[in-house]
Amino acid sequence: MTDYFEVHARDGAARLGELRLESPRTTPALVDDLLVDAGSLWASEREVPAGDPAALTVLPHRGFPGGTAPEVREAFAVATPDVDYPSAAVLSSEDPRDEGTDAYLLADAGSAVGHGRAFVEAVLATREAIPADTALCLSGVATPRNVALLAYAGVDAVDASRATIKGTQGKYLTTEGEYFLEDLEELPCACPACQVPREEFTRESCAEHNRNALAAELAVVRQRIRDGRLRDYLEGQARHDQWLTAAMRELDSQWSYLEERTPILRDAPLTAATEDTLRRVEIQRYADRVTTRYRNRFDAPLVLVPCSAKKPYSDSQSHRQFHDAIRWRAHVVSITSPIGVVPQELETTYPAQHYDTVVTGRWSADEVDFVARVLRRYLERTADTYSRVIAHVPDEGYREIVERVEDEVDGLEFTYTVAEGAHPTDDASLAALAEELAGEPAYPKREREHNTVRAIADYLLGDGAGDALFADVDLRTTSRYPRLQVRDADDTQLATMVPQYGTLSLTLEGARLWAESDAPTRRVEIDGFVPRGSVLAPGVVDADEDIRVGDEVLVEGPKAFGVARAEMFGREMVESTRGIACEIRHVEER
Amino acid sequence: MSTPTPEVYERGKGMDAHNQVMREIRSRKEASYDPHQPTRVWLDEDNTPDGVRESLTIILNTGGCRWARAGGCTMCGYVAESVDGGSVPHEALMDQIDVCLAHEAENASSPAPLIKIYTSGSFLDEREVGAESRRAIADTFADRERIVLESLPDFVDREKLAEFTRHGLQTDVAIGLETATDRVRRDCVNKYFDFADFEAACAEAVAASEAGDADAGVKAYLLMKPPFLTEAEALEDMVSSIERCAGVEGCHTVSMNPCNVQRYTMVEELFFRGGYRPPWLWSVAAALERTADTDTIVVSDPVGHGSDRGAHNCKECDDLVQKAIKDFNLRQDPTVFEQVSCECETTWETVLELETGYTGPLTR
Repeated sequence: MTDYFEVHARDGAARLGELRLESPRTTPALVDDLLVDAGSLWASEREVPAGDPAALTVLPHRGFPGGTAPEVREAFAVATPDVDYPSAAVLSSEDPRDEGTDAYLLADAGSAVGHGRAFVEAVLATREAIPADTALCLSGVATPRNVALLAYAGVDAVDASRATIKGTQGKYLTTEGEYFLEDLEELPCACPACQVPREEFTRESCAEHNRNALAAELAVVRQRIRDGRLRDYLEGQARHDQWLTAAMRELDSQWSYLEERTPILRDAPLTAATEDTLRRVEIQRYADRVTTRYRNRFDAPLVLVPCSAKKPYSDSQSHRQFHDAIRWRAHVVSITSPIGVVPQELETTYPAQHYDTVVTGRWSADEVDFVARVLRRYLERTADTYSRVIAHVPDEGYREIVERVEDEVDGLEFTYTVAEGAHPTDDASLAALAEELAGEPAYPKREREHNTVRAIADYLLGDGAGDALFADVDLRTTSRYPRLQVRDADDTQLATMVPQYGTLSLTLEGARLWAESDAPTRRVEIDGFVPRGSVLAPGVVDADEDIRVGDEVLVEGPKAFGVARAEMFGREMVESTRGIACEIRHVEER
Repeated sequence: MSTPTPEVYERGKGMDAHNQVMREIRSRKEASYDPHQPTRVWLDEDNTPDGVRESLTIILNTGGCRWARAGGCTMCGYVAESVDGGSVPHEALMDQIDVCLAHEAENASSPAPLIKIYTSGSFLDEREVGAESRRAIADTFADRERIVLESLPDFVDREKLAEFTRHGLQTDVAIGLETATDRVRRDCVNKYFDFADFEAACAEAVAASEAGDADAGVKAYLLMKPPFLTEAEALEDMVSSIERCAGVEGCHTVSMNPCNVQRYTMVEELFFRGGYRPPWLWSVAAALERTADTDTIVVSDPVGHGSDRGAHNCKECDDLVQKAIKDFNLRQDPTVFEQVSCECETTWETVLELETGYTGPLTR
């Protein structure tokens, strides 16, 4: 039961939370001043303290430092008292348990920090054992350099004890390094502690600076979480210490932990500037969905084109030129790193519309491999829907990818319309493309819009959803792309396409249709009430485990039926005792 | 390694766990030792109630600590230095004494007035050193001034001590009390006697003094910073332990041993994973300084000082502080510590202030 901590926003495993004490604190944050230690039971017997609504009381504990044998941990385990004030329990990451407190501290964190795999294992084991809406606090480990990674992994609170100690040792900490004070000719910081002449800057000032630097970095982290851009920051910042990059990569290989916590959409750009971007959940999830859920419904040749910097692609100058040559006579799929392939219907989805990559024309072997693999899987799934493939791509990387895939995929004829060394927007290239499509019929706008709506449903809801959802509907679309409105024959609105991230926002009628269809659904079961605005976690009886933040969900209870947008992942909705589970779009009493 | 025999004092979950783990750790060590050679022997000088004296220290190989065979203390690696399994016969023990006397004859100008015999167990336990050997050893050193015998408190009785005092030999029992806090001794050290047993042993020594021709007393060995305690908890526990020892009649000396990381111990397992740091030499100095006015000799000889595995500060000042501690041992003058200072003292003070049971060691 968590009364004194609440998660307000999530960015992957990182959370923006609130310690709800007399004076609340937004996390991830320093909590040195909030922790009141009831003491170690190794040293003496302890009374259960009276507690303090202004503090987080660390209940009497026996810390098991790194290297404590399992038999000893078991024999000396402490029974955590049940208290009604803000409290924290001390755990070992080797056998973490739900102790019913608001927060948890790891006595062996110091042994894990500094080692990528050990750290990830410790945090994952703990986060999986403690309820999602409780705070994880690591004491004695945070530095300005590592705290972004700690938060990224799912740590909610830290203290400045390590930074302070380092200061007393004459170690000057920054987000990118650790300097011996005597080696610094000038102080690379503008915090108050550093506003003294260099020769008056003591170890005491150094400790103060270290705390300032840590506090400032935590503010950056919180803002990054609010913006949904912590990963973008970390991909760069983690380079400053090898173990941080190692930990980030170890986390990337912990797919289920990160995927469960990663939202399906963000109203924020996604920076693709490092080789690690390829392993992001968002990128991998997109590649997975486009090759296992998406269906091509056009009966036309496939034209492969290069991506554009401007998003969505159709707004870019190059793609306008391609369009002038193609004129709805082919299905357009863009090839791009690090996303893979983007069918025209999905150009507004997340992250296809949101990523921003570094354009040099030089592709790394990893990029080529990844995009080629996605294209091959895409074509394996859709090959029988295309009469042929027209590759309208330039040399740089693109052509290599298409040629590699051509060799691997059977039954499709490939034609190349950009001459060697030429650019796809050259007049000659565009003329060749138009020539190649001569005689092909154009598909109508109606078909284009219906296919877009169905493709988005596939992508969002699951394989076959685009057909199943509207199986019994004489589908109609109104309004102008990309703000399509989906209606049935009676002109009842079922859904609206959300152009910011290419989703479908369902109406109540659309939700009813979804609930009754064969399309995969995501359901949140609630208690006997009619939610207004938001459904809070305590009201959730059950929720599908595959619900992700940002998903469209059906909300059903004895008294209500509705559709909502998930603000938590499914398991979190069930486990949490505080916080907003989902935001209601439409609801009706029943 | 022998299988442990369940003994009456082997009770309780915590002890079972500690013992199980320690047995496993110790079993990794494969070595056996010649029962005719002492484990170690060396010459030194020591502060005694009668002043500083030349000393001959003997670590007798008696087949090892029985408690350690059940598992034993979490920081102690000495057990591994004893012969495999069984006990050492009388003749072999006397061979060891001869080796020590030869060492002394070769290296000392005259016989040391002070003899110290440790066994990594209990010299007064007749399962380790039989009555015959004990009396023979008493006779061997009858002409010396003082003898120190290591033992658990259970085995201390006035009659055994009388075998030494009757030669006019001042006799001290060295008792590894480790801490005056029963809870810490039990849960952190895994040693199973109570402070009350220590007090009883001291009373036996007092009784032996009153009856005999020489004084008998107790030298308490305390462990600075057992595993699982923070630096501050360890320091406070040490200060209160010294004060409590000083209040027990018969206990005239306290030897404070900063815990060092010995091989094949639980402490070493923690140390490897960053879960244990030996005490700061500043803590040792602080404990000596704070208890200097007690009516007891307090000494400390930090083993392996300045190394990662021994008590250490920042490396820069380790030798200086160690020197001050050695100086204090001989003169008991707390002002020696005013002569040493280092920037790392602030770090140590910050550790005392900030380290908790959930931060882990804040420094290396």
